[in-house]
Amino acid sequence: MFLEVDALSKRFGGLVAVAAISLQIEEGEIVGILGPNGSGKTTLLNLLAGLLTPSSGTILWQGRDISGTKPDLIAALGIVKTFQNPQLFAELSVLEHVMIAGHLALKRLLGFARSKTIFAPKSARQELEARAERVLRLCRLSEGAQRPAAALSYGEEKMLGVAMAMMCEPKLLLLDEPASGLGQAEITNLGAVLRDLREHGTTLCIIDHKVAFLAEFAHRLIALQNGNKIADGTAQEVLGNQSVISAYLGRQHVGA
Amino acid sequence: MSAAWLLIPLYLVPLVSHNEVLLTILIFTYILGILAIGFNIVFGYAGQLTMFHGAAFGIGGYATFLILSKLGISFWLAMLPMFALVLILSMLVGWVCFKFRLREFYFAVVTLAFAELIRLVVLNWNDVTNGTLGLLVLDKPTIWWPGGGVIKIDGTVPWYLMTLTALGAVTVASQLIVRSWIGRNFAAIRLNEELAQTLGINTFRYKMLAFTISNLFAALAGALFGFYSNYIEPAQLSITQSLDAIAMVLLGGMGSILGPVVGAFLLTGLPHVIEFSAELRAATYGAILILVILLMPRGVVGLFSRWRHVS
Repeated sequence: MFLEVDALSKRFGGLVAVAAISLQIEEGEIVGILGPNGSGKTTLLNLLAGLLTPSSGTILWQGRDISGTKPDLIAALGIVKTFQNPQLFAELSVLEHVMIAGHLALKRLLGFARSKTIFAPKSARQELEARAERVLRLCRLSEGAQRPAAALSYGEEKMLGVAMAMMCEPKLLLLDEPASGLGQAEITNLGAVLRDLREHGTTLCIIDHKVAFLAEFAHRLIALQNGNKIADGTAQEVLGNQSVISAYLGRQHVGA
Repeated sequence: MSAAWLLIPLYLVPLVSHNEVLLTILIFTYILGILAIGFNIVFGYAGQLTMFHGAAFGIGGYATFLILSKLGISFWLAMLPMFALVLILSMLVGWVCFKFRLREFYFAVVTLAFAELIRLVVLNWNDVTNGTLGLLVLDKPTIWWPGGGVIKIDGTVPWYLMTLTALGAVTVASQLIVRSWIGRNFAAIRLNEELAQTLGINTFRYKMLAFTISNLFAALAGALFGFYSNYIEPAQLSITQSLDAIAMVLLGGMGSILGPVVGAFLLTGLPHVIEFSAELRAATYGAILILVILLMPRGVVGLFSRWRHVS
């Protein structure tokens, strides 16, 4: 099994943010996670990425228990997460961002000869620059790659987050609301990027509120409510599920 | 352009001027510049406000001299076990601070506590360190000179050339570090540590590295300082020593390669230019520093690089 989560819980004081959730993700799959605000979606991804330590339960990644492992090691093992609110290195340029994110790729290129990084071997640098260029082009950030990241629009900031994650060459990419706050053209572009990732065999796990957006990409949907998994299956199954409708979609229909 | 090249013309100063005061100011500038460059790596690049570099500076002087006199080996050989000692201490202090994820103010306070601990040990370990009285250093470093055999480095001009060379070596080393991937990762940690971690950067290891490099540079500076001034005392590892280096980095320009050296020059030279009584001098010194920090947040070097951009 690629990723196997068993009875994973996270408590913050008296609040149970994630309550004994179990789920599996197969290699190459695209899984969408939906649920109302506060249902534990982001907490779940933060647990998978190592940003939070689980209160109980296990996370098996390619047969290895990674619960409680530090985020940098988890990233090195191939699970990378983007942030809902773009996280950047404020004063650095767009290109510098993706080059920093190329750190893991550089490690893989040089292996044990990592001490060479001080003298930056030309071949490795060129290889990484070529990758950075490809990723930036795909994310439509190659124009003005020298701009400071502070000059980017909100949508571009979010795409830069995706670009950095792509530079890490993840096996499993966790996207936390990648489409929120994006304009229609930007969402189309994001779709192109996700399709490219899918073609390259990257497994994706996407949180989003836009059910239509999720249904378009995901092979499978998982619905959460109050930290519990209430449905898991194809888009049709999940969106037709009575508890999902009442917990989430139903309320939206009433509100609309 | 490589910043180290800018130092080369300074080799000509002893040919042009025999002014002892000027050369002495420059020697202290170079020695304290090494200390400030080290602090700049851990603070200006990696963003960790350490207060331990003063202790490392003092240990550099004490340990080198004590090892040299107990074992009867040369200055350069004595520096190797001294560096090993500073390396071990840095790893211990760094491990405690970074394992407990101390940041900013908390990191500063805890490193300061460790530094004070070491100062108190030095102060009270009379048998070895001679307590408050300090140690008189009569030995000098020696080098092998082609044609001249083994010669002692004594007198202003040889010391000038040696400290300038040491500063040059430290400048080149720090430049290689900060312009490499290691330097990029330092910047990532300074600007957004959580993001750096999710991108696979082992922030613990890189913070340890920055902290250790800074302390090794400080220890080198401390050894040179003790042997040049012929005297080692507990004040050399006090909080004032740490604060002086911080002032130099802030004044000269944080996060630039030679900024700390410019700051070291200004703060070493200034007291000689301003001929006030000691108390008034300290106050003037403080006032200048406050003004500079308020008006030139990127330091003297930052000011000049801005001009260059405009023109």
